[in-house]
Amino acid sequence: MATPSWSRAASRSRAWQLLGAARRGSSHGTGDSLGPSISPPAPEKRPSSLTSALGAGSRQVPSKNVESFASMLRRSPLVQMGPAKDKIVLGQIFHIVEDDLYIDFGGKFHCVCKRPEVDGEKYQKGSRVRLRLVDLELTSRFLGAKTDTTLLEADAVLLGLLESREIRVTGFGSWGTVVDIIYLDFSKAFDTIP
Amino acid sequence: MAAARLLQAVVPRFCCLGSLGKAAPSTSQLSSRLYGTLLAPEANQQVDPTVINDKLITEPLRHPDFFNVKELFSLKELFDARVHLGHKKGCRHRFMEPYIFGCRLDQDIIDLDQTMKHLQLALNFTAHVAYRKGIILFICRNRQFGHLVEVTARDCGEYAHTRYWQGGLLTNAHVQYGTGIRLPDLLIFISTLNNVFEPHVAVRDAAKMNIPTVGVVDTNCNPSIITYPIPGNDDSPLAVELYCKLFKMTITRAKNKRKQMEVLYGLQKKADSS
Repeated sequence: MATPSWSRAASRSRAWQLLGAARRGSSHGTGDSLGPSISPPAPEKRPSSLTSALGAGSRQVPSKNVESFASMLRRSPLVQMGPAKDKIVLGQIFHIVEDDLYIDFGGKFHCVCKRPEVDGEKYQKGSRVRLRLVDLELTSRFLGAKTDTTLLEADAVLLGLLESREIRVTGFGSWGTVVDIIYLDFSKAFDTIP
Repeated sequence: MAAARLLQAVVPRFCCLGSLGKAAPSTSQLSSRLYGTLLAPEANQQVDPTVINDKLITEPLRHPDFFNVKELFSLKELFDARVHLGHKKGCRHRFMEPYIFGCRLDQDIIDLDQTMKHLQLALNFTAHVAYRKGIILFICRNRQFGHLVEVTARDCGEYAHTRYWQGGLLTNAHVQYGTGIRLPDLLIFISTLNNVFEPHVAVRDAAKMNIPTVGVVDTNCNPSIITYPIPGNDDSPLAVELYCKLFKMTITRAKNKRKQMEVLYGLQKKADSS
């Protein structure tokens, strides 16, 4: 049967995706400075060190192995995920205003969720949470308007804190946010290596 | 001819109109008509009287990428910073259609190959402006990134304006700030829209005042009158941080290069003269 091998390969590739694209692309000279940091995510990573590592380092681009934009786009989690409705993703809280949690999950916009009553104090800056996406960008065309009005926000339902499955993510942006969308497909998740 | 000389004696201002020394009488009539227009105060005098070294200015212009800005960024970096993500299809501006790669499930995706080219052109231009000691003004009306843009501007020794833009800042500067004011030589827009999703007034005003502009245009922006548009995401923090980092590095690099070249040509001059 072809399916089990495909699903294993897919789950392996998903595990790679879960671990971050930087590790997979070891042929590039560019993203390697993000790769080796396997330690549990440090949201207080200094932006200067990361950017200086990326900027000042000798950047050799092997001419044979440069991935094209179309190929990168096709393989990106955002595209592989498909429609955003009802997808489970991981997010990270990057800002808190009293009861409003601003959560970034790797899309263009962040989402804002209310702090839940259960375990409310555990939601701090840098906490990783699980979300169920509703929409990637809240836009709507109002009567008489030429273009849509956009709220510059995504819409998601907060499911809860990330359980101690210890999904390690490499490749943080300087805000301590994830670089890519990390989505959990539960049917395949049991095959992955935690 | 004698009339022209008389005019020159009476009104010394005419000395700056070059050909009056040998002017025919008809030209003197023309110059009297010109006198009716108000001579605007010189905006960009040569600030550095000591180094009017021709080689210093013309040498960078011989190379297509003198400051090597191509090495500052890569396709992967742009992709990881989510520069390719655009708004929804309904927010699309008609003039952004050439820069859009496609539309995936209603979300526009910006073509990063084009963005790479435009970004290289824009950074190269910024570097040349900074090399020639031009004044650069960063503009961003997005409240989320206002502080970041101001910090970036301060770190590279340039200026930023992230607050409400008063109507006559560029077009009425001589009235609002007095004569002899020096206007910026380049405007860099991190976001070309203002708070109500309309094009920022400074885009139009800079075009009126012949000030070149560099701007990051998202899929809902109008790229037409921006001199060096950079199609890209202007809403994600990662993308904006990348832009700020790139502009800061370019400007710093250009300024350092200028110091280097001044020393180099200063030494050369000393070697020639001695």
